[in-house]
Amino acid sequence: MSEIEALAAAKATATRLSKVKRLNALLTPATAVRKALLAQAKAAHPSGVLYGMPVAVKDNICTLEFPTTCASKILEGFQSPYEATVITKLKAAGALIAGKTNLDEFAMGSSTEHSAFGRVLHPLDRTRVPGGSSGGSAALVAAGAVPAALGSETGGSVRQPAAFCGVVGIKPTYGRVSRSGLVAFGSSLDQVSVLGRSVHDAARVLSVISGRDARDNTCEDRDPLRLPTVPERLEGFVIGIPKEYFPVDLHPGVRRACDRAIRALKELGAAVRDVSLPHTGFAIPTYYVIAPAEASSNLARFDGVRYGNRADGVTTLAELYRRTRGAGFGPEVRRRILVGTYVLSSGYYDAYYRKAQQMRALLAQDFRNVFDRGVDLIFTPTTPTTAFKAGERTKDPVAMYLADCFTAPANLTGLPAMSLPIGRVKGLPVGGQLIGQPFLEDDMIEAAYALERAIPAAEEA
Amino acid sequence: MSVTPEEVRQIARLAELSVDEEHLADLAAQMSRIVDYVAQLGEAVGGAAADLSRPVIPGPDAVKLRPDVVARQPLEGGIADFAPAFRDGFFLVPKLGAFDTGEETA
Repeated sequence: MSEIEALAAAKATATRLSKVKRLNALLTPATAVRKALLAQAKAAHPSGVLYGMPVAVKDNICTLEFPTTCASKILEGFQSPYEATVITKLKAAGALIAGKTNLDEFAMGSSTEHSAFGRVLHPLDRTRVPGGSSGGSAALVAAGAVPAALGSETGGSVRQPAAFCGVVGIKPTYGRVSRSGLVAFGSSLDQVSVLGRSVHDAARVLSVISGRDARDNTCEDRDPLRLPTVPERLEGFVIGIPKEYFPVDLHPGVRRACDRAIRALKELGAAVRDVSLPHTGFAIPTYYVIAPAEASSNLARFDGVRYGNRADGVTTLAELYRRTRGAGFGPEVRRRILVGTYVLSSGYYDAYYRKAQQMRALLAQDFRNVFDRGVDLIFTPTTPTTAFKAGERTKDPVAMYLADCFTAPANLTGLPAMSLPIGRVKGLPVGGQLIGQPFLEDDMIEAAYALERAIPAAEEA
Repeated sequence: MSVTPEEVRQIARLAELSVDEEHLADLAAQMSRIVDYVAQLGEAVGGAAADLSRPVIPGPDAVKLRPDVVARQPLEGGIADFAPAFRDGFFLVPKLGAFDTGEETA
């Protein structure tokens, strides 16, 4: 690609982004995106492996070109003084940062309805949600505005919206990608993740952002991920199908799409085996103790002194903290901070937090038991249903949390996992999930390449 | 309800979060719903034996520390560039209890 082509790509992306404005997926004004895209296209080095590729970025990842708000009033207008390592790596590879995408406030939610800047619409049915919390990134990729976008995962926030919107979402192993510059929510769970219109688009972005980083001590000292070649067959792969992910009340359309994908895996030559992950049903209660506990600690920094837009007219320091946080955080963030503070408080620590950590170890043991018996990958549905209606689950927090019941186990255990489109039900996309072994994303991506080519994902299942 | 409005008030104080009195009952109901839901972990973990000797997440077994050397902050601009007021190496901040006056001190 020449510089002229990169400039043309930048202009075309700016135009496409302005055409999908009604989705409310992008938080950056169209004029600012156009200006930044053109400046980046001129500055990017043509030797980069992503030269000229526009990548939208979830607004909880720090950038110098655009403000970083986490879709929260408390950070409205916040300009980060540094950029995330993943952004530096993308720019070094010649990618163009195509603005900041809408999300559930501080990445807390499964529908992108909890944004202080309004909900994101599903690109195929505007009465439905695109999933969350990376709903803005997923909607933009699904609408064809950008070929790839960065999101972040704490409990499934990339795979779940990828499944709802019919795109590919990859969460790497915890420690594969630097978290430096990703605004912390649950530090033992958070991982920058990628959405793409195809397995290859998502995988090549993941390959660029992966690898060691001296600014994040939890980032593994490993070389960047090497992309596998596209396989013709999957002979030699053993794929486990865990019965706990196919409950009797699983949406019948989702089950049909999964059955078709499992048949395709068999036809590709993979050995398919029934397995059991017995503690799966406890993943969501475990997650909703650990994640709010970590969030209550991480979000303490937004107090109007260290970070956050300060409340006016206060006279004491305590009042400054409380009014800044009370006015700046939205209802879901406030609720999670309160739950996190509750489960960590002295009377309840053993009853909730310690039990959740023990359950987390049991969930990890479940996966080790399966992988130790020769299984290479696990295949499941990504979500129990297709995209649900806006407003359907906002009244009951637990109903909303259950949208992540098949994705949270990979976050709690740090395993790599991805969602890819496997069919449609009444026009709405269904996602199939592959869960891999630690740091073996290449195996997972290889199987996804083959599955993607074998399944007519745009057809009714 | 497992969480009372009074407990919500107390937890909100611990979390440095102002909560409107009229929302206390709703918040208590929502928190009770969540706390009751996660309480199932108590019984579930009771009989099972988790191997806690192995790390749960597959990242580094032990967090490696950076070398303890003075280095330049990886910031885009100077530290003074993003402070509202800065003098002689110090941030100038409002005096406690004087937020409305605009008076600043080092």
